[in-house]
Amino acid sequence: MTVIEAERLTYTYPAGEKPAFRDVNLKIEEGEFVIITGPSGCGKTTLCRCFNGLIPHFYGGKLEGEIRVCGLNVKEHPTYEIAQRVGMVFQNPENQLFALSVEKDVAFGLENLGVPREEIRKRIDWALKITGTYNLKNRPPYELSGGQQQRVAIASVLAMNPDVMVLDEPTSFLDPAGAEKIFEVIERLNREMSMTIILVEHRLDLVSRYADRIIVMHDGRIVMNGDPREVLASEKTRLIGVGIPKATMLYKLLKHRGINLNRPPLYSEEACQVIKEFLSR
Amino acid sequence: MSVFDGFKFRSISSPIHQLDPRAKFIYVCVLFTVAVMFNNIIPLLILFLIQLPIVFMAKVQREWMRSMKGSAVFAIMIFAVNLLSLYFYAGHETFTSILERSLAMTIRFIVLVQSFSIFFLTTSPDTLGLALEQSGIPYELCFAFTTAVRFVPVLAEEAQTIIDAQKARGLEIESGNFLRRIRNYIPILIPLIVNAIRRSLELAETMESRAWGACKNRTNLYVLKIKTNDLLLILFSLLLLTVSIYVSINVYIPSLTSLLI
Ligand SMILES: Nc1ncnc2c1ncn2[C@@H]1O[C@H](COP(=O)(O)OP(=O)(O)OP(=O)(O)O)[C@@H](O)[C@H]1O
Ligand SMILES: [Mg+2]
Repeated sequence: MTVIEAERLTYTYPAGEKPAFRDVNLKIEEGEFVIITGPSGCGKTTLCRCFNGLIPHFYGGKLEGEIRVCGLNVKEHPTYEIAQRVGMVFQNPENQLFALSVEKDVAFGLENLGVPREEIRKRIDWALKITGTYNLKNRPPYELSGGQQQRVAIASVLAMNPDVMVLDEPTSFLDPAGAEKIFEVIERLNREMSMTIILVEHRLDLVSRYADRIIVMHDGRIVMNGDPREVLASEKTRLIGVGIPKATMLYKLLKHRGINLNRPPLYSEEACQVIKEFLSR
Repeated sequence: MSVFDGFKFRSISSPIHQLDPRAKFIYVCVLFTVAVMFNNIIPLLILFLIQLPIVFMAKVQREWMRSMKGSAVFAIMIFAVNLLSLYFYAGHETFTSILERSLAMTIRFIVLVQSFSIFFLTTSPDTLGLALEQSGIPYELCFAFTTAVRFVPVLAEEAQTIIDAQKARGLEIESGNFLRRIRNYIPILIPLIVNAIRRSLELAETMESRAWGACKNRTNLYVLKIKTNDLLLILFSLLLLTVSIYVSINVYIPSLTSLLI
């Protein structure tokens, strides 16, 4: 089933002179893990805001073309309705938690939906356990580390049980160790619960191994869209300025020297494997 | 260490912390009324002493001490002003009775501060918001209240960061005359306000993404229920009020000096 379907989508902010992105055609299938990447200012965040209706309902502006999310026409359904299908995790962990305890924060979305209290309690525990934050349940959010806060933010979205989770650079405020923990959680959601994941990310070194597909945006357009290995090994991707994983870079350098490995690796363990395969051939 | 620490909620578990804010509010109101009803030293002293066991039960002695120390300056001022004004205008009173009246006013002030301090030290903003909500105040207002309280420490930290950054660039805050000093704060206020606006936009975005406004009958994870202890506190407050009214009408209250001599 197709969960997100955009056709010739073009959007201009109320204050903007030219479109933040234009002519975007995109299809995302149920259960897919998609990474969106591209240089700063290319319109990734703006595109994500369309996925749950923040654009056009919260931001206004001019949205042309068609976009359907889980069968709902985004232009016609309010954000709170789409938010039940599409969970959104933002960049800054600090500004996503506003209650005085973790538990209350995770409950917020469910409270808004009028879910019965007993059910809310169950879902809080469930979401906190999956994200590994159960022990933080009664702590005030502002006392947590950035990584913990971001996992709680994921839990608060998860508790609403969405079909799709959109994460906009969830690790850009975190150190590599914190980032890796976030990626583990996301990967688990995708693998164990077959949740559709859309992840905006620059740290391809750490995360591209989990992806089914990578989309590269440049200057408001989608310029690459396909299998991670193909996209990352392509010269076009490198020229745009996307941070290619070192393992893939190695593959390209070797290829340049006439050494053709089996396939482009995405991370160092895989690179070892591929090189071993090559040597024992 | 600041005076405000004497009023800032601390999350510990104690029987006082678990009391319903509404019950505590009634208690504070009664205490206020009673404190204003009397201007003799003995009943006010009793009011002061009644609250000490509560302070210890709530395990907030240290913070309470802080609020007491913080209010000491004001207490001394009140004492001095009362003493002087009574001395010059009251004429035919003896000095001891003037002294006693001034002391009584000071203790009244301390009792008021003390009850405020106990209330805010032991009531989490979360339950306070909940109490407001269950008293029929619109949810949006209660939410604004708890969120504002939640972001006070964050904004305070941010202000400190901005001050440090501007100082590092050579801004001198504590120099010049009064107007100059106010002007010095502009480079701190502008980034602080801009950041606060950006933060509130991000918060709004998050709220929208968590189905804010999806249904009219939103649930609340917590409900406040009046428990036995709350009833006891309310009962005690009412008793205190009745006794005080009775005493103030029917009983002659001796002065402390007449008892001691
Ligand atoms: N609220 C807004 N109002 C007006 N213009 C905006 C707004 N937000 C973003 N833009 C503009 O839209 C364009 C795309 O910005 P967007 O934030 O989507 O980029 P991005 O790919 O997410 O970048 P980054 O990697 O830095 O997060 C930029 O030119 C930006 O200036
Ligand atoms: Mg962005």
